[in-house]
Parts: sequence; structure tokens; C-alpha cells
Amino acid sequence: MTTRAEFLARIRAEMGRAPGLFAAEVSVRPTRPRERLALLRRELSERWREDLERFGQEFERVGGVLHRVSAAAQVPDAIARIAAERGARRVVAWHGDALGLDVAAPLAAHGLQASAAPAAEVDADERGRRRALAADADLGVTGVDLAIAETGTLVVVSGAGRPRSASLLPPCHVAVFDRDALVTSLLQAGLALEAWHDGPPPAGRGASINFITGPSRTADIELTLTRGVHGPKEVHAVFVEQGLGPRRG
Amino acid sequence: MSETPPPTPLRERARQALQDTFLHEALTIATTKFIGLRREAFGEFPDGEALRDRARAIKEATLQHLDQHLERLIDNVERRGGQVHYATTPEDACRTVLDIAKRTGARLAVKSKSMATEEIHLNTALQAAGVTPLETDLGEYIIQLAHERPSHIIAPAIHKTKGQVAELFARELGREIEPDPEVLTRIARAELREKFLIADMGISGANFGVADTGTIVLVTNEGNGRMVTSLPRVHVAVMGVEKVIPSMTDLAVFLAILAKSATGQKLSVYTSLVNGPRRGGELEGPEEFHLVLLDNGRIRQIAGPLREALSCLRCGACLNVCPVYRQIGGHAYGYTYPGPIGILLTAMLNGPASVKDLAHASSLCGACADACPVRIDIPRMLIELRRSVVERRIAPWPERVVFGVFGRLLRRPALYRLAARAGRVLQRPFVRRGAIRRLPLFFGGWTRTRDLPPIAARTFQERWAQLAREDHR
Repeated sequence: MTTRAEFLARIRAEMGRAPGLFAAEVSVRPTRPRERLALLRRELSERWREDLERFGQEFERVGGVLHRVSAAAQVPDAIARIAAERGARRVVAWHGDALGLDVAAPLAAHGLQASAAPAAEVDADERGRRRALAADADLGVTGVDLAIAETGTLVVVSGAGRPRSASLLPPCHVAVFDRDALVTSLLQAGLALEAWHDGPPPAGRGASINFITGPSRTADIELTLTRGVHGPKEVHAVFVEQGLGPRRG
Repeated sequence: MSETPPPTPLRERARQALQDTFLHEALTIATTKFIGLRREAFGEFPDGEALRDRARAIKEATLQHLDQHLERLIDNVERRGGQVHYATTPEDACRTVLDIAKRTGARLAVKSKSMATEEIHLNTALQAAGVTPLETDLGEYIIQLAHERPSHIIAPAIHKTKGQVAELFARELGREIEPDPEVLTRIARAELREKFLIADMGISGANFGVADTGTIVLVTNEGNGRMVTSLPRVHVAVMGVEKVIPSMTDLAVFLAILAKSATGQKLSVYTSLVNGPRRGGELEGPEEFHLVLLDNGRIRQIAGPLREALSCLRCGACLNVCPVYRQIGGHAYGYTYPGPIGILLTAMLNGPASVKDLAHASSLCGACADACPVRIDIPRMLIELRRSVVERRIAPWPERVVFGVFGRLLRRPALYRLAARAGRVLQRPFVRRGAIRRLPLFFGGWTRTRDLPPIAARTFQERWAQLAREDHR
């Protein structure tokens, strides 16, 4: 078996014989990315209406459905409506602290079987039980860490109270966001990625980040577009005009 | 060990492909559609051309300091609790994965689409060791059931009809199945969902490895990549060394052009950034994360003639525009990687002798270089390969003799004129209706599928000389 040292030595030996094809530089990384991101967010807060409009267009182009509510308190009603239209009964959701709003209790009041993810580490048995719940759920509710207008993309960061499966296993995914999540372009999302990885990861930060651009799709059989092959068949985004509560993670 | 050469010669494989009318129609529809979608995507994106240049520069700059970027990647993967392995040959890579499977008692491995694991024939190795590999990308699942290889880098089952897929599923599941893509997809979802939940190991490739953060990036449309990296207790990613990129800022540049080139989407449905094993507080994620760095002929090309091909993103755009690929499809190429870039990658993995015929399976029209998101000059390297095939005397001897003589004639104008005059006489018995339609002996290879224009009654040089004389008058 090759060792790290041998492997890299072979690469260096070859590099020594290669002058390179042309003068080239990698991208310049932003210095102090967290401050830059905060600055960008302030700039973007002026233009959230344009970004939301563009996001809506692109999101619907890729097969998403955008809903708008004025206050956070109306989110559970919106989710319950989506659930009712599909005959969905079982709901898994992010923890209230990660979502910026508790949805499990209000959804239960709508007659749905809703469970929110635990906010902290649980043992393997409980993780197994939670996974089974997500696998059987009809609908998954998550927050959104970035909504990219240019591409209609929802970015979700996993972590404590933020299970990956809520946006993956149920056939219907409902993502809840506000203007704080909006960015204009993919390159701006690159800045956010730099900021999130600046320094050691904070407690509760998970190991997975997903860019979600519409429902799961395939065209592998005779190029016929088919939705929901492994991930959700439907993706809904609920925009809260007056904003969600403070969020963790 | 390199890949086993195909049992029949390229000419025979191409002939069979050309006779397959369904394949031909499917290829035309698919490639035409991909070309249109790609053009539309870049048309709407004014920054596209500049970003292609950026992406190319990033790839080249990364190669110039490849050792440092890989070291950072390795250090950061280890810092996040992952383990890194080094594989020089396909056997090394397979053995590494098998060792992990054995140690963790894995019996069922779910896989997301990965050309790197195709290239090392990992499934065969797993099977032989009693581990069941299950492809979960719908196209890959179909060809696994059919015991075939992918015929397109991003649309592996492009050559199958829905009827054939329904038959495969029916045989697998032992019941009648309607040949409707919607129904077939639903069945695959149900079948594979069960397997995701019980699998012991997830195996993926990697579209990118980000050095700064130790992140593996997977781009998929179906969501199987997310399942494979989150549900089983062990995740193994197999990544060619050239897939490392320095930073998240660089990643954004590549993401902006990759899906547009591949399928014409602005972004693929899922771009998954995997940062090692499950962290405290998470409900899902593997307990172990392994990254297998794969050489398999790549490292020697850092200073080799195929260096540019190390920038390939595996988007498949060059396949769609290639007049040869569009006629014969992926299987006729006979190796893991089809299409124009596939010829170069085959030479990289298996040596130039493996492409002595394939190097000629290109019209050198340059459409591939135009379509390539990172502007790889594929025709230049195909010509290089043809040259090395001749220089290493791998080419058939009659071909070498004919072109050797021809080359010598071209260098001596007097001899060339003499030969033209002689040729005009010698060709007479073979000219029919203004063209040479059949030549004797080994020359016949040329005229089997095309005509050879005869030497003109008066050559260009003779006519030019006469025109010059008339001008002077």
C-alpha cells in the first residue's frame, strides 16, 4: 500500500519535470470572510424585493412552489394547507431554535403528527428511531441558510436540530425563510461558504451542506423528465415577510 | 493493471453501433437536446465565457502546486475526523475499499454515480469479496441490472428503451411492469429506498475536493448522493488526485459552469458538501469517512503530453457535440470513458497503445474544444497521440509505410511532381465516375467507407504556374 509520503513524492517528482502550460493563479480568497459576508448582507438588505422576485422566478422554473406569508405565526397554517392538499399526515421538522419558530406544536393542533428534531446529541437508538420517523414522514420542514436568487437554490446547513433527512427522505419538502437568507448570485454564496468555514466549526454545526435547486429529478429513461426519484418530489418555500425569530446554527 | 481491451476491433464495434437504429435515434435525440440546453444556459449567462477562462486558470494553477493543495486537503480531511488513503493502481484502490468493508463488516454497499469507481472496476472487486455493490443513480442501476457499462458520462443508460428497462425490472422483481418512465422511476425509488436504509456502506466519487476545508463535493440530480453520504455508517469517497481545488471561492466558479455544460441546468438539483463523519448533535451522517486518492495514470501526466486532460470536469459536453460519438455512442469506444475526452483518458489510464485505433475516432473538427467548459484542446492531444502511436510503431505497418513515403514526397517538390505524374497514370484502372471507389490490397481500408478523389489532370501547382505566365503577358 502506498504511503502519503511516497504518493506526494511521486507527485513532486513529476511537478519538477513540468514547467506548467501557462501562467495562472487560483482565486483570491476574501480576507476576513465573516466581516465581508456581514457587509454583503447589509448591502443586500436594500434590495431583497428584487432578489425575492428573481428567486421566485427561478425557483418555479426548476419546479419549486413559492408561498408568501406576512408573519412567522402564519407559517404553520401555510404548512398545514400544503399538507392537507396532499393528504400528508406525518411531519418531521427542524428544531424550533434552528428554524426560528416552533412548528411542531401548532401543526399538531392542525391534527398532524409532527415531531421536531432534538436540539442536542442523542444516543444511537434515538437516532435510529428518528430516522425511521423521517423515512415514514409525508412532509419535512426545514429552515434555509441561503436562498440564491440567480439559480432558485435553497442552501441548508446540517447540524444539531437541523437533520439532513428532513429535506431528503419525505416526498414533500417545505423550507421556511426570510429576507436574511437571500443573496443575488452563486458567487456571493461562495463568500458565505468561505465565511462558514473560517475558523473551527462552532458547536452544533453539522458535516453537510446542501444546495437544493428544485425537486429531485432524473431523465435517465429515454430523457423523460421524472420528479422525486430519490429525494422529494415537491419542494415548497415559504417566505416570511416580517422575518422569522432569531435562529441558531 | 489496466482495463481489458475490448474483444472486437473498433471498426467492428462502430459497425455494430451504426446498425442499431434505436441507439442511433436515442443518441441523436439526447445529444441534440443537451447541446440546445447548454447553449441556452450559457446564452442567458453573460459571465459564462469569463468564468470558463477563470475555471481553466484555476485548474492549471492548482496543478502547478498540486502537492501543496493535496497536502492541505489531506490535513483538513484528517482534522475533521476523516481518513485518507493513497492508491497508485486500481488494485490498490479496490483493496483499500475492501479492507474498510471487511473491517466494518459491510455486506451491502450503496453507490452514487462515480466514473472513478467505474474506471477501477470496483463493483467486480466488491462482488468477488462477498460485498454487494448497488448502484443507486437510476441510469447506473439500469445498466447494473443489464450487466453493461455506462454509454455516456452523465446519462449512462441513454442507449436503453423504456421497454428494455421495464423488462430488466420485471426480471429483477419477478413481476410484470409497465414500460412507462414515471412508473419505472417510482419502482426504482421504492426498491432503492429500502436499500439505502439498510446499507452498511456508502461509496461515492467526488466532483471536487476543497483543500482549504477538507470538503468533498458531489453534484447529483436524484438525491442518491445525499443518501449515500448520510445514511450508511461508513462513507468512502474515491477521488482522482486532479479533482482537488484550493478554495470555496474556486468552487463557486466551477459550480457556475458545470451543470450548464452538462445538462443546461443553472445548478444541478443537489450540490452536496461533505465535511467528514457525523458531528455531535447531528441525527445523520456516517461514523467513518474515508477518502481514497487515486492516481491510476494521472500523476505521470502532470509532466506528460495529456496534462491538459487533468482539467476535465467530466461534464460530458464534448460527447454531445462530437460527430463520431453522436454516430456510434459510448459502448463502441470499448473502455470506461467514451467520447473525445474519453480517448485521452483511456490513453492516460491504459497507455497510448490502448488507443491506437481510438485516436483516429475523431474528425478533429474542434467542436469538443469549443464545448469544453475549461477549454481543453482535445484535438491537439489527439494529434499528439496519433503521432506517438506512429513513433512507437504501434500503428499497423502498411499505414506507417504509406504515410512515411507520403511524408518524404511532400518534402521534395521535384519528387512530388514526378509522383503526381506517375500517379495519374497508375490510378487510371481505379477511377470510376470521377472518384477512386476501390483500391486493392491494404489500400482498400481507405476506400471501404469513403471515396478517394483522384489526382487531378492538372495539379494546382501546374495551374498556378500557367496563371502566373498568363498574368505576365
